[in-house]
Amino acid sequence: IKIIVIGKWRLGVGKSCLLLQFTDKRFQPVHDLTIGVEFGARMITIDGKQIKLQIWDTAGQESFRSITRSYYRGAAGALLVYDITRRDTFNHLTTWLEDARQHSNSNMVIMLIGNKSDLESRREVKKEEGEAFAREHGLIFMETSAKTASNVEEAFINTAKEIYEKIQEGVFDINNEANGIKIGPQHAATNATLAGSQGGQQAGGGCC
Amino acid sequence: VLPLRRRAGAPSGSPPPISGARIQKLCDRVASSTLLDDRRDAVRALKSLSKKYRLEVGIQAMEHLIHVLQTDRSDSEIIGYALDTLYNIISNDLEEEEQEENVPKQADDLGSQFTEIFIKQQENVTLLLTLVEEFDFHVRWPGVKLLTSLLKQQGPQVQQIILVSPMGVSRLMDLLADSREVIRNDGVLLLQQLTKSNAAIQKIVAFENAFERLLDIITEEGNSDGGIVVEDCLLLLQNLLKNNNSNQNFFKEGSYIQRMKPWFEVGDDNCGWSAQKVTNLHLMLQLVRVLVSPTNPPGATSSCQKAMFHCGLLQQLCTILMATGVPADILTETINTVSEVIRGCQINQDYFASVNAPSNPPRPAIVVLLMSMVNERQPFVLRCAVLYCFQCFLYKNQKGQGEIVSTLLPSTIDATGNSVSAGQLLCGGLFSTDSLSNWCAAVALAHALQENAPLKEQLLRVQLATSIGNPPVSLLQQCTNILSQGSKVQTRVGLLMLLCTWLSNCSIAVTHFLHNPANIPFLTGQIAENLGEEEQLVQGLCALLLGISIYYNDNSLENYRKEKLKQLIEKRIGRENFIEKLGFISKHELYSRAAQKPQPSFSSPDHMMFDHEFTKLVKELEGVISKAIYKSSEEDKKEEEVKKTLEQHDNIVTHYKKVIREQDQELEELKQQINTLKSQNEQLQTTVTQQVSQIQQHKDQYNLLKVQLGKDNQHHNSHGETFQMNGIQLEEVSKLKEELEEWKNKHELLQGQLREKESVIEKLKSSQLEMGTTEQSSQAGKSGGSELNNELQKELETLRSQIQLQSTEISKLQSENQKLQLLNAAADPVLGDCGATTAKNSEVEGRLLQEVKELKNEVKALSEEKASLKQHLDSSNSTVAILQDQKSKLQQEVAESKKEQDDLLVLLADQDQKLSALKNKLKELGEPVEDEDDIESGDQADEDEDGEEEEQD
Repeated sequence: IKIIVIGKWRLGVGKSCLLLQFTDKRFQPVHDLTIGVEFGARMITIDGKQIKLQIWDTAGQESFRSITRSYYRGAAGALLVYDITRRDTFNHLTTWLEDARQHSNSNMVIMLIGNKSDLESRREVKKEEGEAFAREHGLIFMETSAKTASNVEEAFINTAKEIYEKIQEGVFDINNEANGIKIGPQHAATNATLAGSQGGQQAGGGCC
Repeated sequence: VLPLRRRAGAPSGSPPPISGARIQKLCDRVASSTLLDDRRDAVRALKSLSKKYRLEVGIQAMEHLIHVLQTDRSDSEIIGYALDTLYNIISNDLEEEEQEENVPKQADDLGSQFTEIFIKQQENVTLLLTLVEEFDFHVRWPGVKLLTSLLKQQGPQVQQIILVSPMGVSRLMDLLADSREVIRNDGVLLLQQLTKSNAAIQKIVAFENAFERLLDIITEEGNSDGGIVVEDCLLLLQNLLKNNNSNQNFFKEGSYIQRMKPWFEVGDDNCGWSAQKVTNLHLMLQLVRVLVSPTNPPGATSSCQKAMFHCGLLQQLCTILMATGVPADILTETINTVSEVIRGCQINQDYFASVNAPSNPPRPAIVVLLMSMVNERQPFVLRCAVLYCFQCFLYKNQKGQGEIVSTLLPSTIDATGNSVSAGQLLCGGLFSTDSLSNWCAAVALAHALQENAPLKEQLLRVQLATSIGNPPVSLLQQCTNILSQGSKVQTRVGLLMLLCTWLSNCSIAVTHFLHNPANIPFLTGQIAENLGEEEQLVQGLCALLLGISIYYNDNSLENYRKEKLKQLIEKRIGRENFIEKLGFISKHELYSRAAQKPQPSFSSPDHMMFDHEFTKLVKELEGVISKAIYKSSEEDKKEEEVKKTLEQHDNIVTHYKKVIREQDQELEELKQQINTLKSQNEQLQTTVTQQVSQIQQHKDQYNLLKVQLGKDNQHHNSHGETFQMNGIQLEEVSKLKEELEEWKNKHELLQGQLREKESVIEKLKSSQLEMGTTEQSSQAGKSGGSELNNELQKELETLRSQIQLQSTEISKLQSENQKLQLLNAAADPVLGDCGATTAKNSEVEGRLLQEVKELKNEVKALSEEKASLKQHLDSSNSTVAILQDQKSKLQQEVAESKKEQDDLLVLLADQDQKLSALKNKLKELGEPVEDEDDIESGDQADEDEDGEEEEQD
């Protein structure tokens, strides 16, 4: 089974670092700004089945927003990322969520990620707030740290699992590639596209 | 619009003047007519005029046509005409076809200027995007064509507009899914224009599954046998992948490399190499090269190279390489492709070395290829490709380098001459009369030595048999000989590059070179002479070689020490001159071209002068050689010293490196050990936790035991108490005995007194008797004794019951002890299993055992005590029995004495009566009787005292 994960998210909240941590298992404190989108991939196993996650990491800057929009369609899952040490990134979630909902398949699995959980001392957004937002909008929620790799695997894998379950339930039409799901070369396999989405906001640069 | 209007006033073409007014009329109809049919006719008329009167229609009708697009969307026919008309105005395609030589520049201007006007309003492009979504063929098809034209004219601007319009790119991707081939194919062309040098759009297109779709189309169309559609798809794929790392990564991760393999399953039947097939295959090969280009990030290239090996793509390419009847141009590109697929990738290089040509006997592919390289009749590009392939095979491949050089060494040369070796071919090429072969062979050999000092030394051993009768000459010698014979520039340049590569970083080779006394004079002569422009390059290379001979000189030859060579330059050439000549190399036009990329590609054989790797060497050495030349001998000496110390340092460093390596190894081993230990530790820890829980159980039991022991101890204490009580009893017994003794004494005394009194009475005779109050005392003694006895008995009773209790508890303890021992015994084997915890466990066990032992001891002590107590009790029982005996005796005695006393009292009363009678008689007789009263009262006082004493007791 192949699942394509397209992750798109916003500037400075650590999206690229998350992806790098997930695909290469390393952390890069200083990262160039993502220009447009970058692709990454990794194999995971769910339910004993090999699933290839294909992840598109999107630039967070406002100027790339129109580009980013092109990636909602055809994604099965999205990771909406904000930075727990910057409230403004949290405040912008609604906008991004609306954007994602508007341009994506209604079945797209969206996971809300509060990143930089290692910077507890600089925390501006409480975990409860993230949980409440997720509950309100029907998202899965998790706090991660791309630096310590805490929950990074879980974030991607849980998203993939959720999609996988939806495939099993028949929610996704696996024959329609626009859903972001593609069956692998072996005939028995299913093929899923998972779209990631972004959170956060346009201001500020900084690392990841 | 204005400049165009002005130009319209002076039309460059030759349209009849009437047309201007006619077009205006048509435009007015389009703009003002309220009837759709009328408008439609007018637009159709404009369309028919638009080819001939492109400029006029464009200027006058464009805004009206755009207006039609906006307002008449419901009528696909009029939209179709409008789009066609706009296409005719904007596109240069038709003009290019018709007037191939006629002022294409002006036509270019027209198309792009109209495009500029059209896209000035971004909404126009957005509108076009929505029209392209329309399913109606009459709308969609011209829409696609118009958009393609716009992109051709003003690519970047139109791309930007499409990029920012919502889902713009995605909507265009849907064209590939159109079942009408015309639209799908034109969609491919549109996407080709759309993706040109715009990475963001390329990524979105890839994201929209373009790879999948395009590969499907290529397969459907029959791979390389397909038509121009396949070519278009391949061009689009190239657009998507070239210099786009993200897309390349996606292509690889999406397992699309595997899907390229069938492209190269070209039948060996030689039939049907159509021009289209050649083009398609060429593009397919280029697509492979895009993925493994040396300019890609190293990691990306190497992972694609591996994927190509694992899916069999490389093997497939090698089959084409060795197949017969493949057109030369395909063969050349296949060689180039194979080159880049194996470059710097060990497994692929190893595989390539193992490929054999299907000849009889089979020959290694490398040999077959080298034969082509040194074959004058082969096409130039093919020979270049082979050289590239050979270079790529040797790139970062010490094993391959060694294998090639070894075919030149005396020990391995096949004397029978049955098969040609790579080394033989290279030598043959080196000394053939064809300068191109000389150059290629020299460069190829240089690549075998690249960054491989041991091989540079090995190659010095190579001896060549020149002509019969003459002694063999070393390869190095032969090279310099040919150099001095003044052959073609290309040959000399090739040989000089080989020599420079060979001598650099190899002092022994420098020494060998200097050993030939002809060499230095030749070099200085070359450099010093004032030769023509075409010789400048050779002069520069000679200067470089001389510089290398100085820089890597280890001063082992007295005549050619560093200073001497420098003095020679100073005298014969002049420093400035030398540096200037040296600079000729990097200033050469062909040098910078070669420096750009590894592939040797030259516009003509004459331009074949520089090798890419050699340009790197020049960059590295130019600076250091200039410095070395300018240095004074003193500085040289200093440097020499520095070098020596550096060497020492180097030695130290290598020593440390060795140490570090060893330590690394050790570290690795230790790490492994740690790992195994860790896992062991984990195992042990689980057993420990198990055992801890067991120990906890034991502890609990132990605590239970302790509590019971505590109880036991209490019992012991009570034992002690009883013991104490016994002690008290003993005391009391002894006291009692004493008392008894006293009593006896008193009794005796009393008896004595009684006897005395009796005697007195007898003396008195007249019934004078003493009265003893012994009754009282004996009675008191009796009650006291019985009380004591009672107490004793009670105490005995309690003692017995306590003893019983204790013995039951002791037996309980013993059984528990046994249980504990059993448990301990059960725990023992587990304890034995784990090394680390054994100590702890045994400690605990020991403690437990000790405690158990202590407990046992205590129990023993207790039982001993019990025994002694029993004894004691027995003895005290016997004493008590004796005492009881004595008591009963005493009681008897007391009873007897009571009786006696009673008798005595009766007697006394009688006697009293008698006495008083006697007294009365005596009184009557007149006799005094006071004396007797006195005696009586004295006796009574005595008795009182005794009574008091008794009471005190």
